[in-house]
Amino acid sequence: MSDPREPERERRLHQELSRIWAPPPGILGFFTAVNHRVVGLRFMVTAFVFFLLAGILAVAMRLQLTLPLLGVLSPEAYNQAFTMHGSTMMFLFVLPFVEGLGIYLIPLLIGAREMAFPRLNAFGYWVFLLAGIFLFLAYLTGHGPDSGWYNYPPLTGRAFRPGAGIDFWVVLITFLEVSALVAAVEIVVTVLKHRAPGLSLDRLPVFVWAIFITALMIVFAMPALILTSLMLGLDRIVGTHFFNVAAGGDPLLWQHLFWFFGHPDVYIMLLPGVGAISMLLPTFARRPLAAYLPVVVSLLVVGILSFGVWVHHMYTLGLAMVGLNFFSAASMLITIPSAIWILAWIFTIWRGHLEPLNTSMLFSLGFIVLFILGGITGIMLASVPLNWQVHDTQFIVAHFHYTLVGGVVFPIFAAVYYWFPKVTGRFLDERLGRWHFWLFLVGFNATFLLMHQTGIQGMPRRVYTYLPGLGWDFLNALSTAGALLMGAGSVLFLWNAVRSWRRGVPATGDPWGGASLEWATTSPPENYNFLRIPLITALEPVRAGKVQERGLARPPWLEELTEGHGGRRETTVTTVLAAEPQGRADLPMPSPWPFWTAMALSVAFLGAIWTPWLVPVGLVLTFVGLVGWHWPGQEAARGRTEGSGVAEGSDVAESPGTTTWPGPKEGSAPAKGAGRPPPPSLPHQLTGWASPIVWGVAFLIAIEGTLLLLFVASYFYLRMGTDPWPPAQVTAEAPGMEWVLPLVSQLLLLLSIVPVAAGVRALVRGRRRPLLFGLPAGLLLAAGYLVLKGWEYAGRPYRWDAHAYGSLDWTMGGYAALHVMILLLAGGFAWVLTLRRHFHPGRYTGLQALLLYWLFVVAGSLLFQATQFIGGQG
Amino acid sequence: MIGKGPRARRTGWTRIMPGTGPAAPGPEGGTHRPRDRSAAPHRPRAPHPAGLVVLLFLGGCAGSQSMVDAANPAARQVESLWWLSLLSTGILSLLVIGALFEGVRRARRRGAEGADAEGPGAAGHGARGRAPEGAPTGAKGSSAEARTREDRWILLLGGLLPALFLVGFLIVSVRVGQSVAPPPGEPALTVEVTGHKFWWEVVYPEPGFVTANEIRIPVGEVIRVRVTAADVIHSFWVPQLSPGKVDMIPGRTNEIWMYAEEAGTYRGQCTEFCGVQHALMSLEVVAMEAENFEAWTEVRGRPVQAPRTAEAVRGLEVFFEVGCASCHAVDGRPRPAAASLAGPDLLDLMERRTLGALTLPNTRDGLAQWIVNPHSLKPGVRMPATRLEEEDLEALLDYLESLRP
Repeated sequence: MSDPREPERERRLHQELSRIWAPPPGILGFFTAVNHRVVGLRFMVTAFVFFLLAGILAVAMRLQLTLPLLGVLSPEAYNQAFTMHGSTMMFLFVLPFVEGLGIYLIPLLIGAREMAFPRLNAFGYWVFLLAGIFLFLAYLTGHGPDSGWYNYPPLTGRAFRPGAGIDFWVVLITFLEVSALVAAVEIVVTVLKHRAPGLSLDRLPVFVWAIFITALMIVFAMPALILTSLMLGLDRIVGTHFFNVAAGGDPLLWQHLFWFFGHPDVYIMLLPGVGAISMLLPTFARRPLAAYLPVVVSLLVVGILSFGVWVHHMYTLGLAMVGLNFFSAASMLITIPSAIWILAWIFTIWRGHLEPLNTSMLFSLGFIVLFILGGITGIMLASVPLNWQVHDTQFIVAHFHYTLVGGVVFPIFAAVYYWFPKVTGRFLDERLGRWHFWLFLVGFNATFLLMHQTGIQGMPRRVYTYLPGLGWDFLNALSTAGALLMGAGSVLFLWNAVRSWRRGVPATGDPWGGASLEWATTSPPENYNFLRIPLITALEPVRAGKVQERGLARPPWLEELTEGHGGRRETTVTTVLAAEPQGRADLPMPSPWPFWTAMALSVAFLGAIWTPWLVPVGLVLTFVGLVGWHWPGQEAARGRTEGSGVAEGSDVAESPGTTTWPGPKEGSAPAKGAGRPPPPSLPHQLTGWASPIVWGVAFLIAIEGTLLLLFVASYFYLRMGTDPWPPAQVTAEAPGMEWVLPLVSQLLLLLSIVPVAAGVRALVRGRRRPLLFGLPAGLLLAAGYLVLKGWEYAGRPYRWDAHAYGSLDWTMGGYAALHVMILLLAGGFAWVLTLRRHFHPGRYTGLQALLLYWLFVVAGSLLFQATQFIGGQG
Repeated sequence: MIGKGPRARRTGWTRIMPGTGPAAPGPEGGTHRPRDRSAAPHRPRAPHPAGLVVLLFLGGCAGSQSMVDAANPAARQVESLWWLSLLSTGILSLLVIGALFEGVRRARRRGAEGADAEGPGAAGHGARGRAPEGAPTGAKGSSAEARTREDRWILLLGGLLPALFLVGFLIVSVRVGQSVAPPPGEPALTVEVTGHKFWWEVVYPEPGFVTANEIRIPVGEVIRVRVTAADVIHSFWVPQLSPGKVDMIPGRTNEIWMYAEEAGTYRGQCTEFCGVQHALMSLEVVAMEAENFEAWTEVRGRPVQAPRTAEAVRGLEVFFEVGCASCHAVDGRPRPAAASLAGPDLLDLMERRTLGALTLPNTRDGLAQWIVNPHSLKPGVRMPATRLEEEDLEALLDYLESLRP
């Protein structure tokens, strides 16, 4: 600090980092930007537009229900409206918004310059945008889905819904899940690997915990939705029978899979809000959050419990009473962690200092109250006999709007008022904010508190009208008035946001006296987030005044990390638990390929509506996009020029102990003074589990593995319900040798790992040649698997449309074959890159990731084969 | 536009009276609570606007489809569970919300008092609470020991209190569930109800006849209801007579039971979204005194009678000419699922109180409108509009009005 050359160095550093991290300008730049704050903000703004659209639909529905037998909306229009309203709010507003908030804030909260996979981030946004636009285009051109966001078959089967509406829903929601999943993997890996040095897990802000757990839940819950909408799509488009009772399918399979996703989804939407409130209450109460650890553990517990309660959406199916009581108890258990949150918030406020309540605080308090009310009706709904009465009535609509508007939208508004100054550098207007809050609060309760009563009096949900004389008229009229107030509040907020963004009161870097790291930088932050990567020594670093951005007590390697290096985008890589420094991640530059890939993938998904043959076309285009995306650009060039340094680095990566980690304690050696920064002592090339890329692939495998296990579970679910199995339609199979082909093909696939693994191993030890031969050998064996499988299936006496048995059989074969094809493409690409010396003994992490995925594909294929063998026994 | 037709009929609707006439509230089992059922269940009992706001949850015992208007012991048990849970969770949440507001009040006061009440030094962590413009820092409870104590309280209160409450509530809930789920006695009668888009096929397997959208049951008897669906998933719900609802799923048969203490009409409605006209798929359960019910079943054994008047005979011809017969049988015999027709059997048409699954009252006028343009009354119904000459329509109506078993 006392160094007189310090300001000059800072200015130079600022200039260099600004140049490196600037998003590309112009129209073209718009499509190539990958910066996390750009992408995060786009997510949030786009999601908010969808919020307004879904809100318009909600008001239209309320107008229709004002009085009995009104004709504001036809029944068809009403059914489309509630389907679009639900789907949009769930998939196009809440999830993208909280993911956007996470993408925007997480690097700021953990002291990183960027997220783990910036291009993937951009890709996720384009997918989200395309899916949303297409869904609304379908709706506006009269092809809107009309069977609810839950889409129960057989109503959604081709027989009862011949139009394209359900096709659009199935295809676009699955497409959209791709976006949710890549954002989830992105968030998980970023939180695990890119925290600032010293930011050990016990210092992680609650909001980051919440988003992290949310992302993990997405990883394990979304596959169920993808699987089940894939099955519905196949049923509709190629005539499989997963949900067709007449041919061995079961519509209840949909409900199990859908709610296996659907209930965690509720908490996926709720947890980020809980995290946000746990950040801003301590700021406004001027004290740390009470019970940090119990709050975090409660987040985890809810995350886990939420996977064990899905049947409470299905009490009326006629399932066994014992099972229902189990799920009833499990559902009620969620009350306990929720109570711990609420008490922690109350204690935090109780023993804090509050200024006059601002809008953010008002929304927080509103959230807590509404969350309590939504919680108690939740307890009632967990009770089996009460649920039997109120299930599918307006009472349910009231309940889940308390949890989803009270529990999600209110904290989102609180968070927006809180972080708006950080994002835009300006405050939202307080006077308009108060109007917004009171209109929204009064309107919300008028709409939904009364709706409990409407439901108790017997009005079902999802009805476009009702007859007079049932005592529902007056309540409905009041609910509509409430909805109009909510609408007015939202419009007011829109006006406030637009106006304040341009002309609001300017905010400083830390306008609220915040506690967490995002307040240690400017508002809005520079493109590089922090001039110097901070060293974290406390749970609330900013409040503790312990953000070390200056030279004092910063170890020399940390100083290196902060400098720009030849135009390279970099951020720190640290260990998973203690956040000890491990290395520096080279991050990719802006690129048009994520946009292209999203467009190409949309061809595969949307094309399926017209003809299944467009799917391979789209997938090939997607592969082209992925090649362009991963084609070594500047980063690779750097790698070659620094050949020796990289090799050195890889050594260090394997034994991180060689870096001197002084620990997050204060009082370590002072920083080196002026002059050139010393040569890098933290490696660029991280391998194995030190590498974020390997973690990313591991979570991709977690997603796909969940999908596989759910598919196997579905197989046995359908098998249990069908007698005989295999059914009469398909037992004409040739007896005797039918196990030979599968056995040989699986053996080939298993063997294919050997030469690849040996090649990678040799490359690690410095020899490139074995891989150049091993990779093609492995690919050849895998291709042999494809040929044999093709032969095997060509000999099947039944097709996928013969019976659910055939549907399962062919889908498993197709799934495995698709993945082996992916291996062929990815392996071929890896071979080219090895040939071009992109991969060399100092850079092989990508090959490790490929090998990991290869192992997974083999394991998945074996799992499916085992399922076919075991399940196929009569 | 589409809503216009039904709205015009609103006045007609309220004229419907219960078809079984006023019931004598006679004690038929020891457990019965006499209730005045003589009032028409369809009479609108509008909630009083003033009382509604105050007694929002307490005033909801109106309406014939209300779960807080239970008409048998089991439904009353669930109703009591509802009041119990409302009261207990209501008190709990008021306590918690009260604590929240009290906390805000205290924190506001402390915030307003400024730094002099508890200075930064009090907590021993002067660095905490870094706030702009010298705002108070180091709130009460920011020392390490105080925070540990606080954590303990939060765990204790947040873990223990809900746990105690939930265990109690769960026990009550499970006991209620197990007590209301099985039928309270040996069923005297089985009714098979099949959900169709958008009406209910009602089969009495013993002695073997079929009707639609109205289930007649004897008072004071346990009725077993077997439900399934012909097309998509529907859900069967008669809140006053059954312990809740049960889904009607194609390919499966679910069971629920009904029991009416008193004669009267009880409303039910489909509660699983089943397509465009889910909203107007309702049904009625008519509980009749035993002897009335006997008489009602007895006539159904008789052979179908040919139309007697010339107009009715002509009407029967029209019935076949314009295609009514392709969807409607007129024989009152249950059909196997594979041979089920798209529309209800019309043998006892004139006994039914409503048309279109409770969409409009069954009058000659209503019938005429329903035949000529059902979509103006119930958009999306599968019955097509039928163009008819005036005299053909009259003849058809004559024929239909002759239909009673």
